Amino acid sequence: MEENKKLTDQELFSFVEFDHDQAERTGYSEYSYWRSVLRTFSKNKFAMALVIIMLCLIVFAFFANSTARFPIDEIHRTDKLLSPDATYWFGTDTLGRDMWARSWYGTTISLKVAGVVTFVCVIVGVIVGCIWGYVRATDRFFTELYNIVANIPETIYLILLTYIMEKGFWTIVLAMCLTGWLAMARNVRNLVFMIRDREYNLASRCLGTPLPRMISKNLIPYLVSVVILRMALMIPNVISQEVTLSYLGLGLPATTPSLGKLLSEGRTKFQDFPYLLVFPSLIVSIITVSFYLAGNAFSDASDPKNHV
Amino acid sequence: MLKYTVKRLLQSLVTVLIIVIAVFLLMRLMPLEGYFGDEFQKLTPEMINRKLDSLGLLDPPLVQLFNFLGNIVRGNLGVSTRLQIDVPVTTIMMQKMPVSAAFGICSTLLSLVFGIAMGVTQARNKGKFADSLGTAYIIFINSVPPLVYYFFIQVFVSKWFNLPMRYSLENPVSWILPLVSLSLGGIAGYALWIRRYMVDELNKDYIKLARAKGLPYKNIMYKHVLRNAFVPMAQYLPVSFLMTIGGSLLVEELYAIPGMGNLLVQATTKQDNNLVQILILVYSTVGILGVFLGDVLMILIDPRITLDTKGGSR
Repeated sequence: MEENKKLTDQELFSFVEFDHDQAERTGYSEYSYWRSVLRTFSKNKFAMALVIIMLCLIVFAFFANSTARFPIDEIHRTDKLLSPDATYWFGTDTLGRDMWARSWYGTTISLKVAGVVTFVCVIVGVIVGCIWGYVRATDRFFTELYNIVANIPETIYLILLTYIMEKGFWTIVLAMCLTGWLAMARNVRNLVFMIRDREYNLASRCLGTPLPRMISKNLIPYLVSVVILRMALMIPNVISQEVTLSYLGLGLPATTPSLGKLLSEGRTKFQDFPYLLVFPSLIVSIITVSFYLAGNAFSDASDPKNHV
Repeated sequence: MLKYTVKRLLQSLVTVLIIVIAVFLLMRLMPLEGYFGDEFQKLTPEMINRKLDSLGLLDPPLVQLFNFLGNIVRGNLGVSTRLQIDVPVTTIMMQKMPVSAAFGICSTLLSLVFGIAMGVTQARNKGKFADSLGTAYIIFINSVPPLVYYFFIQVFVSKWFNLPMRYSLENPVSWILPLVSLSLGGIAGYALWIRRYMVDELNKDYIKLARAKGLPYKNIMYKHVLRNAFVPMAQYLPVSFLMTIGGSLLVEELYAIPGMGNLLVQATTKQDNNLVQILILVYSTVGILGVFLGDVLMILIDPRITLDTKGGSR
């Protein structure tokens, strides 16, 4: 305190030179949204570990199926229902087919179904949801459409599509897409409802911003974290749905193994040959749990409130 | 309120009508082979025509639709044409629905009790071991396909506790595993919601005031936090209780419970048109009614919410 008193005002304070450029500059000029998302996400060690496990598993699934020792439908009459050994790493099923090849091939099929369905549903769901929530005049129409489509069971679509297109990968994907976008659209609609009359949107509207720009610049950036969360949760959901459909015999054709197919086949002999069920269950659980957790972490990271 | 109720019920009636007509038309698009079994290839065109005629499928679709709607209005729900031939639909539903509903209501009650208890415990011990344990359970149940853990419960848990793997009406012990399987998902769902809303609610200012003036923690938890956290959930309660009449597809299939679970899927694959239409009629009516009752329940619990006016809307 004493020393401070000795200093004069001139020493303590000095005028800053006026710089026009500096006056124009505001905080966070270097801020990049996606870089911040990545930085926040990479701080979460647990989630990073999960993402790495998940990526390894996915890459491995696609490679394992090309390096498998036997083709997926090669029948070994003498080697039925073997337990895992050096030749058949995951054992063989009731027809003597190699479970290693079948499990990994099934994994890739399930992942493809989940990936395509999620991708389509998210895009359609977000666009429809934005229009549904933003344009008041369409609310009645979309609500009615939602009630109708949500109340017609998927089985009907599946059977009709099978009739038109015959059983296969794209049939099940299309049937799942037909019902899947609804939940996404409804969720987005409720969020848009909350923000559509905020001041910044009112201002844009007064200035005559056209609808496409309104949606792409004002609404969607606000929804990113929720959309990512829904997307991450949808992948385990689609896989579960595929498992259920396959169990009912409504899924993919008999020649295409998927995780759901393997699970429902394994069930009949499970009492005596548990490995038939254990390996597919393990794979499916690891994939779904890591998608779920990583998705949650990523959606936290994509919320700008958690940056800084 | 009355005006709103009447308006909304009328709207719902139109929605149900559209759903039923849509399903009716979709069912008429189904392949003709579907109405026959494997013997379709061997049948002559006359035999096929006779069968289709007896099913009433040769009339123009509009005539079929009006016959169908007329019968419903007169209270005649018709008979099953393919699954249990000539058995009235009401008889089939009366046999199966009570079983499904009994299981469903018991499991929903179990889920509510355990789910809320779990959510409250988690919220009270936020960040501690109990919370993480609960979260791990919720993550597992929400991400792993139900079929996987149903299988493991049926095969392993039945062995450990020496419980039967098949349902039988006379043996109450055999009801345990299906009930547990049915409840697991519900418990996770309720716990997740209750925990999230309670944590949100605990951070609000009025809770701080209540604590500052010395209200016991237990009182704050149950009288303020839980009641407020319960409001958003209340909306879904009636639907979840009412929809139990539909049964559970997988659990009923696994334990051979004679419920409603796979009736709709079977009826659809076998193309039992009338049965499908009636089932959809029942489910959609019950579903829409449930959403309405949910709104009413929410108003009863939280007096701040009203449905009547849409003030300030543009």
